[in-house]
Amino acid sequence: MNRILSSFKIFPSVFNIYGFLFLAFLYMPLALIVLYSFNANPINIAVWTGFTFDWYRTIFGGAAVETTFDSAFSESPQRIFEVVKNSFLVAVSAATIATVIGTATAIALARYKFFGKRFYQTLLLLPILIPDIVLGIALLVFFVGVGFELGLLTIIIGHVTFLSSYVFVVVSARLAGMDTTLEQASADLGAGPFTTFRRVTLPQIMPGVVGGFLLAFIISLDDVVITYFIAGVGSQTLPLFILAMMRRGLRPQITALAVLILVFSFVVATVGLLLRNRKS
Amino acid sequence: MITGKTVQSRKTQALLLLLSPITILLGAFFLIPLGIMVVYSFLEPGLYGGVEWTWYPYNYGRIIGWPLNDYETFEPIYLSIFLSSLKIASLTVIFSLLICYPAAFWVSRMSERRKSFVLFLITLPFFANLLVRIYAWLLLLRPTGFINMALQSIGLVAQPLDMLFSSFAVIVGMVYIFTPFMFLPIYANVEKLDYSLVRASQDLGATPLQTFLRVILPLTLPGIAGGSIIVFIPALGNFIVPSFLGGSKVQMTGNLIERSFLQSRDWPFGAALALLIMASVVLVVMFQVVRSSRAQARGAA
Amino acid sequence: MGFLQIASAHKAYQTPEGTLVRALDDITINVRSNEFLTLLGPSGCGKTTLLKTIAGFEDLDGGDLILEGRSLKAVPAHRRPFNTVFQNYALFPHMNVSQNIAYGLDVAGVKKAERDRRVGEALEMVGLAGYGGRKPSQLSGGQQQRVALARSLVLKPRVLLLDEPLSALDRKMRETMQIELKNLQNSVGITFIFVTHDQEEALAMSDRIAVLSHGKVQQLGSPNDVYDTPANEFVANFVGTSNLFSGRIVENDAARGLVTIETANGRRLIASGRDFANGSAVKMVLRPEHLRLVDTGEFEGAGTLEGQVKDVIFVGSVIHVHVDVGFGRTAIVHHHHDRAGIRNAIEAGANVRIAYSPSSAHLIAAERG
Repeated sequence: MNRILSSFKIFPSVFNIYGFLFLAFLYMPLALIVLYSFNANPINIAVWTGFTFDWYRTIFGGAAVETTFDSAFSESPQRIFEVVKNSFLVAVSAATIATVIGTATAIALARYKFFGKRFYQTLLLLPILIPDIVLGIALLVFFVGVGFELGLLTIIIGHVTFLSSYVFVVVSARLAGMDTTLEQASADLGAGPFTTFRRVTLPQIMPGVVGGFLLAFIISLDDVVITYFIAGVGSQTLPLFILAMMRRGLRPQITALAVLILVFSFVVATVGLLLRNRKS
Repeated sequence: MITGKTVQSRKTQALLLLLSPITILLGAFFLIPLGIMVVYSFLEPGLYGGVEWTWYPYNYGRIIGWPLNDYETFEPIYLSIFLSSLKIASLTVIFSLLICYPAAFWVSRMSERRKSFVLFLITLPFFANLLVRIYAWLLLLRPTGFINMALQSIGLVAQPLDMLFSSFAVIVGMVYIFTPFMFLPIYANVEKLDYSLVRASQDLGATPLQTFLRVILPLTLPGIAGGSIIVFIPALGNFIVPSFLGGSKVQMTGNLIERSFLQSRDWPFGAALALLIMASVVLVVMFQVVRSSRAQARGAA
Repeated sequence: MGFLQIASAHKAYQTPEGTLVRALDDITINVRSNEFLTLLGPSGCGKTTLLKTIAGFEDLDGGDLILEGRSLKAVPAHRRPFNTVFQNYALFPHMNVSQNIAYGLDVAGVKKAERDRRVGEALEMVGLAGYGGRKPSQLSGGQQQRVALARSLVLKPRVLLLDEPLSALDRKMRETMQIELKNLQNSVGITFIFVTHDQEEALAMSDRIAVLSHGKVQQLGSPNDVYDTPANEFVANFVGTSNLFSGRIVENDAARGLVTIETANGRRLIASGRDFANGSAVKMVLRPEHLRLVDTGEFEGAGTLEGQVKDVIFVGSVIHVHVDVGFGRTAIVHHHHDRAGIRNAIEAGANVRIAYSPSSAHLIAAERG
């Protein structure tokens, strides 16, 4: 009878092995980077010659760059600090603005009936859906065309354009899961629209808003393609900095920097995902 | 005492307040830029970047290989690059589908606690920096990389395999990057699959293969279609993955666009190429919309 | 002038499939002060829509809502002196019980001392003193129900609107809450407008019932009126079980107040009634509990029907006997089974005689079509 079902039971181990391989496929490459960021071998990253913290030290300025073999290829801690600062400035500003805009839009679309709602629902998905490169060059053409000087401001604007859609999606899901009678109950008990928003709606959707902010923050911090087109000469972000380093060759310092970024991204994304999935 | 009109107008005011930021944002920084790009694709390239405001359909002509002057002959090089981009994007879709489809069933059969943890594990790599993930595969695929060293040490190959800078490397990298994109829509669909239908099919005498082809596959098709589109779109326009893992050997349309804008400074041609990609994306999405609405109509009838 | 007038209220909406639904189709009800009014009807009859328009969550397309001579049409929900107990209670999950109850007082700007006192009283009233610090999720369904009641009543509304508040409770709890609600309404002296699809609940609790169907008021009256003299076929079928026989009036004995109706295939039945002229098409409503199975010869002068028993269903307090009375109709008789003598005769296939008192037969006009 239940051959397929029982095959799940008879061969659970087959499925589990497959699942294990699937997760290994996702995480092994990342794990190897972490491991080899501690490899002392300065020439071939893949040949293990011993354990070292040197590559991390060059990033924080602990080990003098001059003393390491790799000094010619390494970047100074000051330079790294500068691009990290740029990245954070962009990510915090863009995620904050996108959270306000995305949340306001989600509320408008979830709680009001109006002409053109379908148009907005489709429009909001487009910045996520179209290939990054198309959005990147469209923004480049636009900024240059209207005479915006490329720099951190254009990067922030560009990021807000697609991050608003991400926040919109996360907050909309939260609003859709929220019981609308709570808002009716609040109005019924005499609270005006603003009081209802502040005391009922906002506390209910808060995990979605914060989760949306963190996800937007990390997507902004990691963005390569769109930033690549709209960054000016003096406005390098961390991913662009790494891109430039990678084009010059694979050096151990990049590995260490990659691991730091990876760990930071995972920590922020974990908090964001937990908040997004938290039940009310 | 408030009149009916003010209640309505207050609602309208609130709605305007909520909607105007996104309207301004997407109007000024999304729709207008896309519009300008469309216009540019029909203009003559300026000498030092920028455009000349003259009607110039040859950007599209150039894509299909039209000779621009006496020194050029008909040569559809850009078209063939576009076709090979389509091929790479399609293969990326197929391989990530083959990887994710069984995994979706694996996760859907788990207990709630394990399920949410594994789902989290599968979603998390999406937030790893794109460059970090590419970097990992550079280290893996190099002639002196981990994979070759492992293969050599167990004696499977004598000479290191030349895996990097090939379509293979590009597809591996893209499958790796887009796996969470493919997995989630398929999983959402598989999760909803009603196993009593599977039982019913087997009860009615279908073999496991028949049950799979005639019940499970059709029921999970929307998820497969959704995941395929979500992977196909960024894969088609990608330029970072081919520029690192494909080297100079693998050219995709994305690389052409990048170069038109940042090196040769031929913006109209780059814009035309970008619109070619947009057109393919719109075609694929439209196809899916028509297909699913037809399926809905059939369901309603 | 009533207390709260619902004056030819209209509301229609489009379904996603594109058909127009008249949720409220010219509804007029004069709600009296301090009464327990129930809006009764099947799902989709418009009762919840009506409640929402009274609360102010939805606007009327046409008609008006007048509280003591003042139109409420332009008053938004949060300014109406009405409060609602929601079907799912809609307790704020991020606030505890006291905060939930205090919410309305708080947004109205009531001082903390006064607020605390009134919250305490409200908790006392619904028997939940000492539960103030709990979260709604830590309460049972019945307790949540009481918190929702307290939260509304603490504001001393002119009208309390209740949207199927008992439907989420189990049967025992529901019966307890029915009595509690009725007592509460008596003691607080507030008008209750109660929505339900449960006719027994409506009959048990209400001062008056408005039976709704297809956005129209089918009948408005006391529970007795609605049950004993249903205004039309819908009410006869929706409230309780009815045997309906259609026919035409052929004799009219004005002196005794009796009429004779003839069914399509010539069967003659008597009923009391004066409102119908000879020749008019009517339906006769006979409640199953008003029919009796009798021996031949008994009950001369009563209405009688002969037939053959089709099914006998024992439900405990009574036996439901389905009798094929010949002209394509089956009569349902609720037979009390303490009379052992007759019970033996009741089995499928037996020929029986049914008697009824003409005064228990209620006539309604046959609907066209």
